[in-house]
Amino acid sequence: MPAIEHYPIIMVAGLLLLAFIMPLLYIWKRNWCEPVAIFAISVALVMSLCIIYEVVQGDAFEEGYWMGGWEHFGIEFKADYLSSYMLAVIHGVGLLILIYGIGDLKKELVEKVRGWYYTLYLLLMGAMSGMALTNDLFNLFVFMEIVAISACAIISIKEDRECLEASFKYLILSAMGTGCYLLSVAMIYMITGYMNLDMVGETMALGVGEYPLNILVAMSLMVVSFGVKSALFPLHVWLPDAHASAPSPSSAVLSGLVIKIYAVALVHILFRAFPMEILKEVPMTDIILWMSTLGIIFGSIFAMVQENFKKMLAYSSIAQIGYVFMGIGLFDPERPEETEALVGGLLHILNHAVMKSMLFMIAGIIIYSAGLKKIRDFDGIGNRLKWPMYIFIIGSASMVGIPITGGFMSKLHLAQGAIAVDMPFFVMVIIASSLLNAIYYMPIFINAFLSESKHENVTFKPVPGSMMIPVVILGGLVLLFGIYPAPVIGVLESAVESLIQ
Amino acid sequence: MEEQLVTAIMMFVIVFPLFMTAVIMYVGQQSERLCNALSLATAAATFLAVLALYPEAVGGSVVEYDLFEVLPDLAVSFRLDILSYNLILLSSFIWLLATIYSIDYMAHEHGGERFYPVLMFTLGSCLGIFLAGDFFTLFIFFELMSLIAYILVIHEETPDALKAGYKYLVVTILGGLAIFLGVIICFELGGSVSIGEGPLIDEVSPLATMAFFSFLIGFGIKAGMFPLHVWLPDAHPVAPSPASALLSGIMLKTGAYGLLRMIFDVFSVEIMQQANWNLIMAILAVITIILGSAVALTQEDIKRRLAYSSVGQMGYVVLGMTVFNEQVLTGDIFHIFSHAIMKSTLFLAAGAIIWKTHKRKISEMAGLGRQMPVTFSCFAVAALAMIGIPPLNGFLSKWTLSLGFLEGGFAVYVLVLLISSMLNAMYYLPIIIPAFLGEREEEKSGDKEGEEEDWEDEAIVFNVDEATFRMVAPMVVLAVCTLVFGIFPANIPFDLSRLAAEFLLLGG
Repeated sequence: MPAIEHYPIIMVAGLLLLAFIMPLLYIWKRNWCEPVAIFAISVALVMSLCIIYEVVQGDAFEEGYWMGGWEHFGIEFKADYLSSYMLAVIHGVGLLILIYGIGDLKKELVEKVRGWYYTLYLLLMGAMSGMALTNDLFNLFVFMEIVAISACAIISIKEDRECLEASFKYLILSAMGTGCYLLSVAMIYMITGYMNLDMVGETMALGVGEYPLNILVAMSLMVVSFGVKSALFPLHVWLPDAHASAPSPSSAVLSGLVIKIYAVALVHILFRAFPMEILKEVPMTDIILWMSTLGIIFGSIFAMVQENFKKMLAYSSIAQIGYVFMGIGLFDPERPEETEALVGGLLHILNHAVMKSMLFMIAGIIIYSAGLKKIRDFDGIGNRLKWPMYIFIIGSASMVGIPITGGFMSKLHLAQGAIAVDMPFFVMVIIASSLLNAIYYMPIFINAFLSESKHENVTFKPVPGSMMIPVVILGGLVLLFGIYPAPVIGVLESAVESLIQ
Repeated sequence: MEEQLVTAIMMFVIVFPLFMTAVIMYVGQQSERLCNALSLATAAATFLAVLALYPEAVGGSVVEYDLFEVLPDLAVSFRLDILSYNLILLSSFIWLLATIYSIDYMAHEHGGERFYPVLMFTLGSCLGIFLAGDFFTLFIFFELMSLIAYILVIHEETPDALKAGYKYLVVTILGGLAIFLGVIICFELGGSVSIGEGPLIDEVSPLATMAFFSFLIGFGIKAGMFPLHVWLPDAHPVAPSPASALLSGIMLKTGAYGLLRMIFDVFSVEIMQQANWNLIMAILAVITIILGSAVALTQEDIKRRLAYSSVGQMGYVVLGMTVFNEQVLTGDIFHIFSHAIMKSTLFLAAGAIIWKTHKRKISEMAGLGRQMPVTFSCFAVAALAMIGIPPLNGFLSKWTLSLGFLEGGFAVYVLVLLISSMLNAMYYLPIIIPAFLGEREEEKSGDKEGEEEDWEDEAIVFNVDEATFRMVAPMVVLAVCTLVFGIFPANIPFDLSRLAAEFLLLGG
């Protein structure tokens, strides 16, 4: 492939650049915004698939991509297994959300801000790709800020009271997270004198004995920072409001992708910057494990009592991000060869991205077509919105973790991992949470299909194909990753292996 | 037979019904007749294909086939041995009869276009469970069958059905998750989940105990074992009758099959005895038998009474697994056959009665035997078999079980069987006797003054108004089976059971 080593930078810079062209394009050629954005993300998707292929097959990315001859400062993009996997997830799911958004946003947003929406969307995509790719703590900080700001804006772009309030809350808490991160980076810089992850990792291993407290504080700040950003319980308070009030495509991208990218960044830093001895001595993985356990249980319990469908999905995201962190938490530094749980956690990033964005899209379709937001109003809508509700069944099955859906595969790995490190208790947690998921997801479609309809007078607007097709594709992907997850798992196993060595 | 041909037939009996599900679902929207015909053809073809495997299975060969690997070391694989063959033969046979019966039964109900695809899907996944070559595959088909059967449970869409269905769904998912846990532990401890590789777990440890209890909960829920039977008496009666027959007749047996596989393939006889797990199972089974039969006494609704009776009968099956000698196991596996045949007859007959007269209460059924003599005769034969009257098949299974219990030194279990038989008599006879000899309600209230003159005639009058031929025929076939499999010298199910028992005791 020609110039493949330049793909990462082309992707990130191109998306960011295009983001700023969008408003101009909106003034000049109003209809071009959507096709251009879709084209850009499709190109990015193709590029990320090429990158994955090259990472698995070739060696174009062994070296890393140094920018502007500043080797000394270590400004570097590095496409390893994990980041290329994440790139593919971001752009694959992001593309479908974007296509879905074309129809949905016409209803949810006022005319004059629609061009800006694509600006924000491309900024978000570009910055997330940057976060996945960068090998440098300071650039990570810059990309994190871009993600945070554009994520807030993508919520508040729908100018109603709830959205503004939610995005303000998000902004404050996320700024706190960024603050922690910056402090942590400062400490790491103090200890090591480097920003580049590889160099930090090498130097930190030498400084363990000398600066134990600094390293400890840096690590805790790091976990808190990414915990806030990815809504790890009990730092999740901003999430339900933010994800529930945003326009549906924004909810899909926030719940599906944005919270995951922070988890990936944490995995990168935790395993590459900090020496394994520190992880052995400090029970950091245990702390993450227990926080995730609480998140899994309480997220589900909170979700059960919600009336608003999107809010329920948002609380369910808190529980589901718990699985990702449980994968990290079940990693036992004493037994680094037992990696099933970590693979399962990382696999759940993909599975949850696919199913949760799908469910938010279905929520959006129900709002678009019938204007219904409350779960108890959904009785009998299955006969009117047949296909969305069929796909909803697949989504909920995957949430519960029923075989032949993607969710099952993540749970299988997590459970195997938990048993492998002799912690069968956490298998119980997974099982309890599956049951809780069943209790709040199943009645929705049962009532939707079997209860008496209350909507004789409500007119159901026809759902445009551009909204339906992405949902159907995602539904197919849920099944695909449930039946044939082997390639993804292959990539993830190599990813974990390269992280841990 | 060549091994490739056997594998092909094995795959055919699983995949064909699953594939036809889609076809029937599509066709069902166009034409009801075609939908019926296709369902019938599917069930018949599956049954014939299963029959074709007979010489292979009886010959004692074990055929294994790996389809593909889902994950490293976790493959979807299939395996045919004599125990699987017993169950697939039984299921496909009962399924065929239930499908024939459904054609007229469902003609008067809504949602046939939903019923038949689900029926075929559950057939395919049920055979998938029995033919699974490892516990992972077994678990996947088990989940598929259980979840899809939900649609059968709620078919009527009444509030009662929905409530029962919800209970069923939650309990099923719980059971599925428990099995999931068991499979995971098994994989961790044994490094494999294949059936037939000798004991996967060969020592008693906390994790092994956990695996045992997970499997016990998971399969026990399906088998309706006390105290996990709570969903069964709600879910089975609300389903349409052919579906109840299958739910009670076959799908309960998937739980029993799972438990058998657990005992002989995950663990081994020695481990079960060493850890006293068989005693735990036996105690639960005894409670199940007594409780199921006792509660059945108090039920007024005929289908609920039958459902509780299923709980009691599954207790026999579980009890039979806890004593490890050939006699008991033969009786145990034969009782799986017997109960499937008897209970399907009873549910089909009850369905015909409800279909014709809209009466569900037992007290209203007095005198109906003279209106529907064939149906009630079948009901009576099957009920007598349930009680264990010779020469019916229920007698033979109880006889074999009792002999085995005595041989193994568990005389008290024989007492349990006797008590339960007595209870069975107490709740089945009050249905049969008034049905033939009692007065009909309409006649009773119709002319009270002329009662004294008329009663002599009434006892003889047969106002025959039977269900249709396609409903009666499957019942008659099944009722004849209860008789034939009780007295006939060449008793195929009994021979198959004995082969399977020998096979299991030799180490699976």
